[in-house]
Amino acid sequence: MARTEEYQLNVGPVHPSTHGVLRFLLTMEGETIKDVEMIIGQLHRGIEKIAESRSYLQFIPYTDRLDYISGMTNNYGFTKAVEDLAGITVPKKAEYLRVFVMELNRIVNHLVCIGSLLLDLGAATMIIYGFRERHKILELFESLSGARMTFNYIRPGGVRGDIPEGFIDKAKAFLRDMPKRLDDYAQLINENEIVLMRMKGIGMLSPEDAINYGVTGPMLRGSGVSYDIRKDDPYSVYEELDFKACTRPECDTYARYIVRMDEMYESLYIAEQALDRIEHLGGPVKAHFPRIFTPPEGEVYSRIEAPKGELGFYIVSDGSTRPYRVKIRSPPFCSLQALPQMVEGLKIPDLVATFGIVDIALGDVDR
Amino acid sequence: MSIQSELKTRFGDAVIETYLQKDGKPGLVVKPEALLEICNFLHDSGFDHLSLISGTDYVERMEVVYHIWSYTRKENIVLKVKLDRDNPVVDSVTAVWRGANWMERETYDLVGIRFKGHPDLRRILLPDPWDGHPLRRDYDMSVDQYVYIDENGKDVVTQDASKILREEALDGKN
Repeated sequence: MARTEEYQLNVGPVHPSTHGVLRFLLTMEGETIKDVEMIIGQLHRGIEKIAESRSYLQFIPYTDRLDYISGMTNNYGFTKAVEDLAGITVPKKAEYLRVFVMELNRIVNHLVCIGSLLLDLGAATMIIYGFRERHKILELFESLSGARMTFNYIRPGGVRGDIPEGFIDKAKAFLRDMPKRLDDYAQLINENEIVLMRMKGIGMLSPEDAINYGVTGPMLRGSGVSYDIRKDDPYSVYEELDFKACTRPECDTYARYIVRMDEMYESLYIAEQALDRIEHLGGPVKAHFPRIFTPPEGEVYSRIEAPKGELGFYIVSDGSTRPYRVKIRSPPFCSLQALPQMVEGLKIPDLVATFGIVDIALGDVDR
Repeated sequence: MSIQSELKTRFGDAVIETYLQKDGKPGLVVKPEALLEICNFLHDSGFDHLSLISGTDYVERMEVVYHIWSYTRKENIVLKVKLDRDNPVVDSVTAVWRGANWMERETYDLVGIRFKGHPDLRRILLPDPWDGHPLRRDYDMSVDQYVYIDENGKDVVTQDASKILREEALDGKN
């Protein structure tokens, strides 16, 4: 057998399958990956530093730019921390609107994740379909917030504004069509032989390791740990809604993919229930929130189940109009740490598949 | 018995005070030298998820806060250590939770707190030769730092903008 020497191989930072400006430094033995070093920070904008010089309300648009694929959940993560800090109660209708947009945002995120993963695996169809559905959701978001990606919609005390005319019908039409589409996509991908060969048994991560590395979200549920913050540490109105946490015990890339597919159905189901309540609830969608807002002194850490995992905001308030410190727990920053262990002993194409399903947005990793 | 009082009785003097966060999560201020022992105990009693490590500069002191969650007990606990600002050093908890690795590197990078026993304590978001720790209160925001890659492929940080701009661009500016 031919002997090979260890060598280093650079991937990125602008390689298409690194999904942004992430750089891999691979230590290879022949074609086998021995170790991966990830070099991050190229998109570091110092958002935590910026927070110190902005008021609480001014900081919300910056959260849109963290994980730019799911701006709504980022808005809510920060908003929830501020509400916990100041003890603001939110009108019921606003809470249901929040849940509705967040669940649709989860679908957007998973469509983009699965689409780009399959694009990396050589199947260009799914990303086109995914973006078609994403466009429909973004149109709904646009009619609510006026923006397609940087929403600034969810704010302390409620949401930006009530639903526009005709919104319910448009949303209902979408919710009616979408399950059929998802069935189509599942049929297209789930049993595809190439997909199975590329994803089954690749990138194994045991539940113990996943927990120890701080991996959260669909990654953790793909390792058989049934844990969903919406269920286990409930917030907003999730306690009043019926849904289940999607879990798969296989611990491989395929399991993580299936978890994401299942979650989209669950999200549709939640959105349907939320929309029903929105339709029948009256009243305001925004509680009073003072223009010059000075929360009480203290610290708060609040976390939510973002599409990519546990999104947390730690806020220290000194009683002034600006936060003293904002620290963001971004889900992919923590999940990425498990990657070297997941890909050890695999080949480079397997790295692409394993990394694709980690589902990162560099805006969130680098902040 | 709640985990807060359990820790208090078990570790006695090492716990300086107990408090509640604004959102009701129980917290403990502990002595830095006892942190690793307490973390080991917490991990063994089911607190297996380290949510977040955050460092804060309070001008007269530094604080590192650990938010920990238990998947089995479904409970939160917050640990806090207060450090001397001139020499902020605390034990690394990477041996307990491997996920602490990058979070500690980030805290070192942005706040300048050093973690004793960390396997690879380097900057993570900023380039290695960066001057200062941006999330410190005395960080000078008026000084611009520019990064470029020299002929050996190493990051170089400079305060001289002409190093990164081409001459035409500079001419156009003046």
